[in-house]
Formats: sequence, C-alpha cells, structure tokens
Amino acid sequence: MIKLLWNTQNQNISNPNNLSYQDSVDYNWGVYHKNNSDKWILNILKKVQFKLIKNEQDLENEDTLIIVDSAIEKKKELYLKLKLICSKLFLIHLGDETGAFDLTKIYNNFSFVWRSFCSNRFFNNKKVSCLPIGYKSGVCLKKQENVRKYKWAFIGTPHKSSRHDILFQFSSIKPSFCHKTNKFNEKIIDTNRMSEILSSTEFVPCPNGFFHPETYRLYEALECECIPIVENAFRYYERLFPNNPFIKVDKWIEVKSMIKEWDREQIKKKGRV
Amino acid sequence: MNENKLVKIEKLVEEKKIGEAQVELSKLGQEYNRNGNYLFLRGKVFYLNKLYYAAIDALLIALEFEQSDKTYNLISEIYGVLGNNELKEKILDSNSRLREINLLKDQLTGIYRK
Repeated sequence: MIKLLWNTQNQNISNPNNLSYQDSVDYNWGVYHKNNSDKWILNILKKVQFKLIKNEQDLENEDTLIIVDSAIEKKKELYLKLKLICSKLFLIHLGDETGAFDLTKIYNNFSFVWRSFCSNRFFNNKKVSCLPIGYKSGVCLKKQENVRKYKWAFIGTPHKSSRHDILFQFSSIKPSFCHKTNKFNEKIIDTNRMSEILSSTEFVPCPNGFFHPETYRLYEALECECIPIVENAFRYYERLFPNNPFIKVDKWIEVKSMIKEWDREQIKKKGRV
Repeated sequence: MNENKLVKIEKLVEEKKIGEAQVELSKLGQEYNRNGNYLFLRGKVFYLNKLYYAAIDALLIALEFEQSDKTYNLISEIYGVLGNNELKEKILDSNSRLREINLLKDQLTGIYRK
C-alpha cells in the first residue's frame, strides 16, 4: 500500500527547552510547510492513490512510503528506520533554500527524491529531480471584474537592492498595491485578501528570493493569472522551465513602460500564453 | 588569507577575463567573507555579468568592512545603469555618500550590518 507521511512539522531538536537559532528556523519552516505547502503538493499527487498517515507507527512491512519533509540533514536515523520497514521510499524535500549541506548520502536512502530549490549539486544525480517551490495554500484566482484594478502589486519584505529598485522604479505607476513587511511570514495579509489583490492585478514583479532565485511570489502570481516578471539572474527560470513565457529582466527599468503603457489587448494576449 | 590571490583576481578582472576571475573567486574560503576587497571583486564580477542587484548587495556588505572610494564609485555607477540618477549622484558625492548608503541600508533590509 502507498502511504504518505507529512513530517516537516516534526523536527529533531537537541534541547527543546533551549532552542538554538537553527533549530528555531527549522521548526518554523517545518510548520510553515505543513500549513502552507500542502495544497500544491497534494494536487501534484492527486493521481496517486495513497493513505495519509500520522506517523511511522502506521506503517506496515512492504508499504511504499512517500514522505514530505524538511531539515532532512537532522533526520538520518528516521530514514534508516523507514528504509528497513518499507519496500520503497520516496522523498519530497521542501525548504533547503541555502543548499548548505551535501545531502547525497541521505538521498541515497530513497528510491527517488523530488526537491524544491533546484541546485546544480544534484543535476547529475539520476535519483534527484527539481520541483518548483509552489504557492501558499489558499492563494487562488478570485472572481474578477473585466478590467484588473491594479497595474502591479508587491507584497512582502523589501529585502536587498532588487526589491528596493522595484519600489523606486514602479512607484509612479498607478494604480498599484504595495504591502511591505519587515520579516517573512510576519504581519502578512491573509491568503483570502492576497488572492483578491492578486486577482485584481495585471503584473507581478517577482524578485529573487533571499538566498535562491526562486520565490513563492511567482507561483502565487500564476495561480491568480497575473503576468509575472522575473529576474534573469543565472538564467535560472530558463533552465528550470525551458521556453517559458515569463517576462525576464536584468534591471527593473526595462519593464517600466510595459507596465505603464500596455493596453488590455496586449495584456490579454500575454496572459493567454 | 592570502592577499596575493586577490591581486591575481583583480588582474584577471582588469584583463576582462571574467570567467576565470569568477572561478578563482569561488575557490576562496570563508575567511574572505569579511574582506572588503574580496567583496568588492565579487561585486565587480557580478556587475560585469549584468547581475546588478547581486553586485550592489555584495558592495554594500563590502562597505561594512572597508570604506573605499572604488566601492562607493562602483555602487554609484551601477545605480546610474539602473536609471536611479539621483542616488547615483548622491553616492558619488563624498560629502553625502556615507549618509546615503546608511539610509539605503536602512530601507533595504536583509543586508549584513556589523
């Protein structure tokens, strides 16, 4: 029987009474994935018949297990145990934006691994494939008026120079929506409101993530049928999705006139690609 | 840390051997992460590869470790390329540049501060 275990929220913490910075980061991300990455993961698995289990006690000999996990560098013992029980073991590895660890030995416990945050370290590993990082659960296209209200929108932290330049370049283009936060996932707007805003927006600039080019913003923009504009750094998206129709920039000024001047027909045409 | 390695990379950059300079930079260990000149060279190579924002981020961190004219001037030049001429001029001006850079760092979070 195929079973699915969502394990990101369970972290191996050395001293629960005195969390280290890294333990705390891993725990918060694990909970984030449990609450916010489930929808798209379950969607890509919709053709697979599986039973959702709560922990490894629900496993029987010869089961096939798909485990969704994060901070896997701390969970070697669990995977060794699972390997002894299951006939096949598959991993959907979320997080790992920094790619700080060589996870090859851990990945060797699995029949196949899908990981988010594509890394060249695993390009030649035939057991590892990349997954997009997906959208936040709950973000979806809302019923909209014929014309979208906002030319562009930015929701999130204005980290680093790229995001600062977005706000500088586009601030004169109205109407727009901008909600700046100081920290990821803090003082955020709820997904319902976020869906309403994105569903009312034409263009969504998607600057690179904090460590890695990939950003949730891109997939949220696509869910709400906006036109995403991504950074062309390292030709990342061209390599991840060859021949994709995203608008790509080296500098944000390149798309200023497009956002300002494109008429409904041009936007509709691009939106249909 | 070996300063000669940085001199060698600087020469490669001057000779426009950007690919080679990039390879040499990637060979350097973590002990260089707080070296202003290393971060300047990282920024310069990013800039020459049209990675403008990565370049500015590296150069802003470089200024945390070493206040050098060449770093200010390169940041100013990149802001000119990005079309932010006001910031370009303010960073070029030695009287206003320190204040402008600090204001900039306050606005764009996520840049390492000492």
